[in-house]
Amino acid sequence: MNNPYRPIKTEVLDVITETSNIKTLRLKPVEPIEFRAGQFIELTVPGVGEAPFTPSSRSSVKDMMEVTVMKVGKVTEKIHELKKGDTVGLRGPLGKGYPLEDFRNKEILVVGGGCGLAPLRALMYELFENIGDFKKVIYRGGCKTPQDFLYKKEINEWKKEHKSVDMRLTVDKGDPTWKENVGVVTTIMDGISMDCKNGIGIVCGPPIAMKYATMKLLDMGFQDENIYLSMEKNMSCGIGKCGHCRIGIYYACKDGPVFKYSQIKNYHEIWD
Amino acid sequence: MHYISNDNFFKFLDKLKNTFNVFVPVKKDKQRFYKKYDTPREDIIIGEVRAFEPAKAFFSHAREIVAEGFKNTSPQMNKKPLAIVGVKACDLKGFKVQDHVFLNHDYKDPFYIRNRENNLIISADCTSAIDTCFCLAVGVTPYPEKDFDINLSSVEGGFIAETGSEKGKATIDAHANLFESVKTRAKSQKDEQRKKVTKDVERNIKENNVPRQESLKGIIEKNFESDIWKDEARACVECGACNTVCPTCHCFLLYDEKNKENLARLRIWDSCMIKDFARVAGGANPRAKLWMRLRNRFEKKFYYFPKVADFYACTGCGRCITACPAKIDIRKVLKRLVKGE
Repeated sequence: MNNPYRPIKTEVLDVITETSNIKTLRLKPVEPIEFRAGQFIELTVPGVGEAPFTPSSRSSVKDMMEVTVMKVGKVTEKIHELKKGDTVGLRGPLGKGYPLEDFRNKEILVVGGGCGLAPLRALMYELFENIGDFKKVIYRGGCKTPQDFLYKKEINEWKKEHKSVDMRLTVDKGDPTWKENVGVVTTIMDGISMDCKNGIGIVCGPPIAMKYATMKLLDMGFQDENIYLSMEKNMSCGIGKCGHCRIGIYYACKDGPVFKYSQIKNYHEIWD
Repeated sequence: MHYISNDNFFKFLDKLKNTFNVFVPVKKDKQRFYKKYDTPREDIIIGEVRAFEPAKAFFSHAREIVAEGFKNTSPQMNKKPLAIVGVKACDLKGFKVQDHVFLNHDYKDPFYIRNRENNLIISADCTSAIDTCFCLAVGVTPYPEKDFDINLSSVEGGFIAETGSEKGKATIDAHANLFESVKTRAKSQKDEQRKKVTKDVERNIKENNVPRQESLKGIIEKNFESDIWKDEARACVECGACNTVCPTCHCFLLYDEKNKENLARLRIWDSCMIKDFARVAGGANPRAKLWMRLRNRFEKKFYYFPKVADFYACTGCGRCITACPAKIDIRKVLKRLVKGE
């Protein structure tokens, strides 16, 4: 029987510095791990420990993946010290991703903040690759400052490549180089022209940003069951056994981390 | 239904040793602990009440290596399967909860399966109750009715043995020479004994006003914002003893040994009462306060499990009552939740 706790040996192909405290690792596991956007993996630093991340790369690339990691704790500190050629471990894919098949022929609004832009990059690649399947795709991204903006250059390239996709960015605090909106992400959710009642709203970001973006979506007329949230909980085993990431009757690791707002809205503690 | 004399019972255990690692409850002072059976001894107590430690520990080990580096090895079969003798009804219900988590629910856990399969469960009737026993309030009788291979009821000079599975039947058939037919007198002794212990537990329930499980529906939702949690958690010292001794608690921590030469991933019992249990790396903690964690413990047992598995994850064994240094008493908490004050 397969051992769900065993990490697969993985080579660090490259380390890309994104911002002062965020790096992206390009990883090649010896056994390919196929994922879909929104699913997560557990990344092991040998002798240090394991932590959950959602791949930020193209799911259509099967033999390698990228994870984008903010330095916040013990494991991520060690991850930031990794170099090209180092060996790590991967387990996954774990959990459920975005159900793209349910988004067909719909209008989709993607809202991301901060580190939440990482899982959403994988989602945007999937949307771009199947852009004809969707009626409309709108992207709204926010970060604290222009220096913190993940994939800034790449998003600007998306704007040029995918003219049909309405994309706007914002920062909480601007600087002279910043030519776009200044304000929290909900400030660029005003005036969006779309069929909110039947539209799909996707939110990923720090808890506080998710909370306010969700409230905004509800104000705009989105239905509870059409809002998809990516929940950050203490996912450890990844298969609903260890008990750390429970939300009500769910485990974020096996039933999520992507949940419909309607599934979890009645539970306390979801934004904490 | 069969009868086995005390002498033959030890012969039976001696035979089982060939196939199984046999564990029996042994009495030390006022407590019973599981010990590996070697030779007949007087302090082996098949009846009385549950052992000090929860029997879940036989299958969900307190500390277990679940991965070694990147090696693609699946867990090795134990050399010999376990025969656990004298398991009480409360621990059988504990197995049911553990089985739900590790065997039946979405994903399977190969380590638990390895430990659990091929085992022989020889349960036994309780012949007495201690003052913390309240099994009948949560739908568990102090004598096993199902979920065993063989069940033993103490009678004069020996035991009545009933089979509850094909494996149990085959085991008795294989040692048929040690068993006899049951005399009417023994049968009525068993019935009397069961009546007596039922009365003892009922008296406990009455004296402590323990609510019946029929009244537990909705107690968590109803009291989610109640001050009961803060009040009850006041004396908690966050030791996690309630989790450790609980037959239904299953949470664990995956821990990587900090030694690059020997990359072992351990699974260790964890406690949801400890502050960092649900904390994420960024620092956010959905249950930062102790009373929230106490509430979570009850929510898991009396909201989560009934919703996903249709049972309350409490066996009425009373171990958490005895183990708690702060004297937090699950019977009292349930009583307050039912009353809502």
